[in-house]
Amino acid sequence: MLQRAELTKYFKSTLFIPQLKSKTKDAVLKELLDLFVQVKYIRNRDLVLEMLHQREKLGSTGIGKNVAIPHGRTTATSDVIVAFGRSEQGIDFDAIDKKPVHLFFMVIAPPHDEGNVYLPILGSLVTVLNLKKNRDKLLKVNTFEEFIEVITGES
Amino acid sequence: MAKTSLELLVSLQDLDLMIEEADEVKKLGFSVTGSTELIKAREELAKSISRPLLSRYEQLRAKIKRAVVPVKDDICLGCFLRQPTSRGVRGREDEQIFTCENCGRMLYWLE
Ligand SMILES: [Zn+2]
Repeated sequence: MLQRAELTKYFKSTLFIPQLKSKTKDAVLKELLDLFVQVKYIRNRDLVLEMLHQREKLGSTGIGKNVAIPHGRTTATSDVIVAFGRSEQGIDFDAIDKKPVHLFFMVIAPPHDEGNVYLPILGSLVTVLNLKKNRDKLLKVNTFEEFIEVITGES
Repeated sequence: MAKTSLELLVSLQDLDLMIEEADEVKKLGFSVTGSTELIKAREELAKSISRPLLSRYEQLRAKIKRAVVPVKDDICLGCFLRQPTSRGVRGREDEQIFTCENCGRMLYWLE
């Protein structure tokens, strides 16, 4: 597990979408992934998109309670980065509890990652998002700064 | 567009990493029900890769776990050695695949 303050290092204001446009599972994976492409964190969008689709075959990353954490390692990146997106109306993401997903965290990691933080990041996100008060706050944040405060537990 | 041999290897490795870590991801609270399907997809993908290249991948994987690694700022992210600007040593079987002179991993340039 990773300390919550540590966790914030892996978010970027450029990878933060408080109002997702997407309405389907496929579209939201692309919309989030495109952020990584724009900031040049990944080299080949199609390869990473394919990886994310394969990951969904392993089991939906919609973990329930309106949360999804699509993730995977790919050879097409060098850094561990997390993007956040929020959908007000919710998206059918094939989640384990069948509920629409409002909160999305996309975690992309290289094959090797310095300090082996990839799995601890996933674990910490699950822990933070298991708490209703954190989910409720994340549904309301307006800015990246407010978002980070929720992640660190300062708000 | 058809994938290059290197891109096929990248997809194969991405699948292998996913299969390898499935149990750990499950422990974290994710639903993991499609392992069989994923292994099948992996086998299918492997068929599309030339025999010599696939066996080179498998040998590297057995020896050093990650057979293909990204290169960023000319640094091999497998062993962190700077690659010469000549882009290292050319691979034997496939003209587009280069290997790290130091660790022998196949290289995937990020830029
Ligand atoms: Zn190397």
